[in-house]
Amino acid sequence: MSAPIGRVVATELKPSTPHQFYFWTATESEVGIGAIVRVDHPGRTVYGVVTDGMAYADLASPLHAVIGAEGDPSVVASEPTARTEVRLFLAAVLRQVPEEPLQPVPLGAVHLATDADVELALRMDAYTRSERPTGIPVGVYALGGHESPVLLDADFLLGPEAAHLNITGVSGLATKTSAVEFLLSSIFQTFPTHRGSIAAVCFNVKGPDLCFLDQPGEISERDHALYEKLGLAAEPLKKARYFAPFKADGVNLNTLRTHEALQHNTEPLVWGLREVLDYAEVVMNRDDIDAKADAFIDFLGERVVGREFTDDLLRGKPFRVESFADLEEFFRAIFDFMEAMGRGGEVWRTHHVATIRKVRNRLGNISTRAKGLVIDDGAPNDLPWGKFEDRTVYVVDVAGVDPLAQDLVFARCVSKLREHLERRDLGVDHVVVFVDELNKYAPADGPDTYVRKMLLDLAERGRYLGLVLFSAQQFRSQVQRRIVGNAGTSVFGRMDMDELATPAYATLSPAIKIKLATLPKGELMLRHPHFTQPIFARFPRPAMLSGREGVERFPPGAELPFADAVARQLKQLDRRVTTDAVRALVEGRPDLDVRRALALTRRTRPDDALAFFSAKLGRRIGGEVVTPRSTVRPVPTGVDPYQ
Amino acid sequence: MTSDLTALRRSLAAAGITPATVVPAASAGRREEAEIHLATLLEGDRVEARDVGEPAGWPDPVAFLDGVQHSEVVGYAGSSPIVVASVAAAVRERTARVLATKLVQRRELAIGRRAALDAAGPVLDALERIELSDVDPPHPIRELAQAGAALDDARGALEVAVGVAYRNESRGWLVIDGSLAESPVWAQDHRMVGVAKSHSSLPFDGADLVAYLRLPPGHRSPIFAPASRRLAPVRAWAVRLWPWEGKDLLHGLIRVEVAPVNGTPVMADQISRWLLAERAPISAPDPRWDRMLYGIRSVEDFLKATRVSPHR
Repeated sequence: MSAPIGRVVATELKPSTPHQFYFWTATESEVGIGAIVRVDHPGRTVYGVVTDGMAYADLASPLHAVIGAEGDPSVVASEPTARTEVRLFLAAVLRQVPEEPLQPVPLGAVHLATDADVELALRMDAYTRSERPTGIPVGVYALGGHESPVLLDADFLLGPEAAHLNITGVSGLATKTSAVEFLLSSIFQTFPTHRGSIAAVCFNVKGPDLCFLDQPGEISERDHALYEKLGLAAEPLKKARYFAPFKADGVNLNTLRTHEALQHNTEPLVWGLREVLDYAEVVMNRDDIDAKADAFIDFLGERVVGREFTDDLLRGKPFRVESFADLEEFFRAIFDFMEAMGRGGEVWRTHHVATIRKVRNRLGNISTRAKGLVIDDGAPNDLPWGKFEDRTVYVVDVAGVDPLAQDLVFARCVSKLREHLERRDLGVDHVVVFVDELNKYAPADGPDTYVRKMLLDLAERGRYLGLVLFSAQQFRSQVQRRIVGNAGTSVFGRMDMDELATPAYATLSPAIKIKLATLPKGELMLRHPHFTQPIFARFPRPAMLSGREGVERFPPGAELPFADAVARQLKQLDRRVTTDAVRALVEGRPDLDVRRALALTRRTRPDDALAFFSAKLGRRIGGEVVTPRSTVRPVPTGVDPYQ
Repeated sequence: MTSDLTALRRSLAAAGITPATVVPAASAGRREEAEIHLATLLEGDRVEARDVGEPAGWPDPVAFLDGVQHSEVVGYAGSSPIVVASVAAAVRERTARVLATKLVQRRELAIGRRAALDAAGPVLDALERIELSDVDPPHPIRELAQAGAALDDARGALEVAVGVAYRNESRGWLVIDGSLAESPVWAQDHRMVGVAKSHSSLPFDGADLVAYLRLPPGHRSPIFAPASRRLAPVRAWAVRLWPWEGKDLLHGLIRVEVAPVNGTPVMADQISRWLLAERAPISAPDPRWDRMLYGIRSVEDFLKATRVSPHR
C-alpha cells in the first residue's frame, strides 16, 4: 500500500461530517482541486473528491509578517527559518464503505486514489463488473501522471434509467464539439449489444464543425495512450451519411462538404409539400396560428394534399396536389371562384377568404425562405426513415440555411425519429440527437416556439423511446431549465466567470469555479447519476478531422454551373455519365423541369441514370416562329370625329 | 500526560482517594522572583552599548531546544494532594530553512507525599513517582508548591538529557530556551547558546543597570560572568532585538549565555549578529514574540501539539 499523503483532521470548528472532511498534507503534494482520495480507517473506507483547499501560516495577523520583514517583502525569502505552513484540503464524500450506518468521516490516513479506488469511488463497479456491463468510456481521471478510466453507465446516459447529456462552456476553449465527437465514437465502439442498436443524428449548425466525422485525423502519442487506456480504437466514425439542402439553384449542395472525394456519402436533403405541411406550425409565428388557420391547414392535410380532391365549383377535373406548385394552382382556383362569386363570395367551404389567403401566404413563404430545402415541385430526398443502421451517424448540415429552415429541419427530423421509435420501425433501438447552440433553439426566455416545445418533450419523454438528446451551448443558464435539468449527464468545459456567478452554479465551491474558469482544452467536469460529486476528467482528441482541418484537407468545391452540378449528381448514381452529355440534355430546358427529372432519377436510382433522366425530361419541344397575324387597318381619316 | 484523567480519577475514587480537579497556578512553568545578583564585568569597566553589526545567518545546521510541563491535581489522600504531570523536551534542527524534529522525550509523573501515592495503590503504577518530603506535617498549599518545584526540576533534567543527547550526535549549534547553567555539561559546551527571555534576575545596579536595560536595538552589553552561576560558570551578555521605546523597557531584550570559551568579544558579536537574524520570522501571535526565537517557539508548538489532551 502506498504511503499516505495526508491525514484527516477534525476540530470543533471544522468537524468531519458524513458528507465532507478536512485533511492536511505536506506542503509539497500532488493533491489538487478535483483529486480523488481514499481515507483508510479500521472498518471503514471513505472516498472523497477535493473541492477546496486552504493554506495558512502560524501568524495571527498579516501585520506580524510585515513587522518580521521590517516592511521589506524581499527579506522574507532570506529569513533563516521558513515559517510553518499548513496545506488543508476540503473533500466531499463520494462513497463510504460500508454505506450503512452513514457516519462522519473517521480521522484516518489519506491516500491518493488508485484505478480500483476510482472505480469504487464513482460507483462504476455497479455497471462495469456486472454480468452485462454497460460502461461507456468518457475519459480518464488524471492526477500526477496517474490516469484512471472513467466510464458512464449506458443505462443512465442513453436510457432507460436516465438519459440525455448536456455540455456547456465558452466557445473555442471548452472543446464541446470535440467532446461530443469523442463520446459518439466511444458509444459506437462500446455500447453493449445486449442493449440493442444505436445511431446518431447530428445537426451541424455552424461552419464545418461536424462535416468530417468520417475522416481520420492525426492525434498525438499521448492521445493514443489515452485511447489505449480506455480500451478504444483511435479511429473516425466509420459509418457516416451526410445530408444537406440545396442552395437556391436547387442543384448545388448548401454545405462545406462538397469536395469531390466526399461525395459518396453526401446527399441532398429535399422536402416537398407533404413533408412540410405536417410541420406548418414550425414556420408560422404565434400570431399566425389560430383555430381558423389550424382548421384550414388540417383540411388541406386531410382532404387535399396527396389525394384526389374534387370540387365542381372550382373546376371540372379533380385536383391532385403533390407539390407547392400544385397547391398554388389549387389556391388560384379557389380565389378565382371567390372573385367570380362577387358579393357573398368571402367564404369557401366555411373557410373565410382571409384565412385562406393567410395560409397560402405563409406556406408560399416556406418555399421562398427555405429554398433549396423545400422544392416547389419534384421528389423529396430524406433521411432513411425505417432503414437506420447500427453505429451509424447521420449528419444533417443546416449551417448555411435560413433559421426558419433550420427549425423546420429540427422539428421534422426529431418528430420523425420519435414516430418511428414509437413504432419500433426506425431500424435501430436508440438514437442520439446532437443539437449545438441549444440556447438559440431552446432559450430560457423568449417565445415558446415549436422547436423549444419539441426539445422539451424530447428531454422529458425521449428516454422511454430510446431518443436521447445530446445538447451543447455556451451558457447553460440561458437554456430552458427543464431541458438541461432533464439531462442525466452534464459536462462542463472552460466556463465564463459571469456564467459561473449565476445561481445555477451556487453548489460549486469557489475553488471548483476557478478551476472551471481555467480548465485546459481536453479537460471536462462531469456530472453523472452514479457520481455523487462532479468529477474532472480528461479525454483524448477525437481521431477525426476537425472542421477547420477538414476544410483545409478537403476544400469545398466551387459552385458549379447548373448543368455541371446536375451532371455531378448523376455521376454519383452512374459513373458512366459525362458532363458533356448532361449539358447537351439540359440546355434550353427550364430549370424546374431539370430539377424534377433529377429528383426522380435520384429517387429511382436506375441502372442507366442518364437514359432515365433523359426520359423524365421529356421530349424537347421545338421552337415555333410566330408570324404576326394580319389585322384590320384603322381608317386613316386624320380627323378626330369627337373634336 | 496520561490521556484519560477522568478514568484515573474514577480509579482513585475506587481506591479511597477523594477525586479533585485543579490545575495548579503556574503549572505550565516555573515562577521566578525579582532579584539583583551582581555580575562580574569582563569587558570594559562599565556597561555601555556595543554595536554588533548587521544581522547574519546562522550556519547550518542549528537546532533549538525547549521543554514544556503540565500538571493537574487529580485527588486528595486525606489533605495531601496527588498531582499528575507530564514533562516533555525536544530538539528541532534547522537545515536549509526547514525545521525538523530530531529528538523528543516525555515523562509522565505522579507527584505527592509517599503516603498519598501509596494510598492510591496500583492506580498510579503506570506513572513515574516523585515523592515529596514528608518531614513536615501535611499542608496542601506547601505540598503543591513542592510539587511545582519538583516538576520544574523534572523538566529541567529532561531538557538537559535531550540537549546532551543531541549534542553527542551533532556538531551543529544548539540554542536552548533559558540558561546554560542548568547543567555543567551545557555550561562547557562550545556549541550551545542559552537565550533567556526572563529578566527577573538582573546582573547590575545603578548606572550600569540603566545602561543595561536601555540598550538600543542591534546593540549588546559587555560580556559578564553571572553571579548566580557559580556551580556552572558561563559568560553572558544582553542583546536588544527590537526597539523598546514606546513599549516596555524589556521589550526585545534577551540575555545570551555561552560557555566561557565563547566569552570573547568576537564571539559575542558573532552570536549576537546570528541572533539578530533570528528576529524573522517573528513568533507572533505569542505574547513574548519580541524575545522568543521562532525556532524555540516551533519546539514549543510541536510539544504542545503532540501532547495528548487530558480528558477532564
